[in-house]
Amino acid sequence: MDVFEAIKSRRSIRKYKPDPVSDDDLQKVLEAAHWAPSWANTQCWRFIVVRSPEIKQKVAGTLNRVQIGDDFLKNAATEAIRQAPVLIVACAQTGIAGYNRDGTPVTDKDDWLLFDVALAVQNLTLAACALGMGTVIVGAFDAKKAAEILDVPDGCTVVTMTPLGYPDHTGQIPPRKALGDIVYKDTFGKS
Amino acid sequence: MELFEAISTRRSIRRYTADPVDDDKVNKILEAGRWAPSWANTQCWRFVVVRDPEVKARIGQCLMGAKIEGKAVDNPATKAINTVPVLIVVCAEMNKSGCKPGDPTSKDFVTDKGDWFMFDTALASQNMVLAAHGLGLATVIMGAFDAPAVEEILGIPKGYRVVVLLPLGVPTWEGKAPPRKTLDEIVVHDQWDS
Repeated sequence: MDVFEAIKSRRSIRKYKPDPVSDDDLQKVLEAAHWAPSWANTQCWRFIVVRSPEIKQKVAGTLNRVQIGDDFLKNAATEAIRQAPVLIVACAQTGIAGYNRDGTPVTDKDDWLLFDVALAVQNLTLAACALGMGTVIVGAFDAKKAAEILDVPDGCTVVTMTPLGYPDHTGQIPPRKALGDIVYKDTFGKS
Repeated sequence: MELFEAISTRRSIRRYTADPVDDDKVNKILEAGRWAPSWANTQCWRFVVVRDPEVKARIGQCLMGAKIEGKAVDNPATKAINTVPVLIVVCAEMNKSGCKPGDPTSKDFVTDKGDWFMFDTALASQNMVLAAHGLGLATVIMGAFDAPAVEEILGIPKGYRVVVLLPLGVPTWEGKAPPRKTLDEIVVHDQWDS
């Protein structure tokens, strides 16, 4: 699939078929992730591939409920994690991306782990799309509980997760801001 | 360009020609950024497209290592910013990504990660980097610079921050792939100690 087609046709998928994901396709999406650039090539990302239905179920239980008005509804991604044959959990080593050798942060952003993990995750979601599979990036969950379930050691934090499998719906296109609303020329606010 | 080819042959480029890059290509790259997913579709990203050579030169001086004891030194990244025709400055609106919906000034973060602006701007940046490569252009994601100084140069209002710089131009070479950890080093199955 062409790179622009992948970028524009990728959707966040919240309903999956039970069809299995081959090891070969799994390898392809993980390789895409590992080709992402990172702060001074630190590659702080780590991925846990969860196929065990029991562990998937437990991790799905860490997702936040979604508040709509006064109601707290189950996040649609909770069911998606149960349905999809694979759950990829992206973790990061802390204190590496964005730090000097003496441990002091280089920039006012401190740890760049969210940034670098996202670069890898975006490669992964595009790769999945090109292989006919779906993903949805989930951030609203209890990362500490997920780390406990997955035995993630100290010095690593769970950042995000996505189910990986074959979509059972086409996915919605949430409206995007127009380029004119997000792009400025030479200085901020000038279009 | 085919996606997997784009992903595996993309390189971080710090040497460019001064060849122009037309608005059509810049817009295609910005479009790619705009199509990235984001926290509850908050789209906190903003892009400042800098073509003005003076503004570019001032931003180039904000890179870490661009000055030694107050004197400008020949930093290859600074040179890259001065050479390329276009510099995309990726900014973010604060307190949107990772926040509860409803109150736009809410500092009520949903997770232990606080504001997710770094995550969401990276999703958009990766789309733009791949798009640039797909168009035969090159870029490099620069994070090591004095962001508050760049914010001042660009007149970034309160509530927004500058995240990364993406010089955009025609590469003089293909670049080299720094070695990657093998998949065995970064992937585990089911649980960490499995």
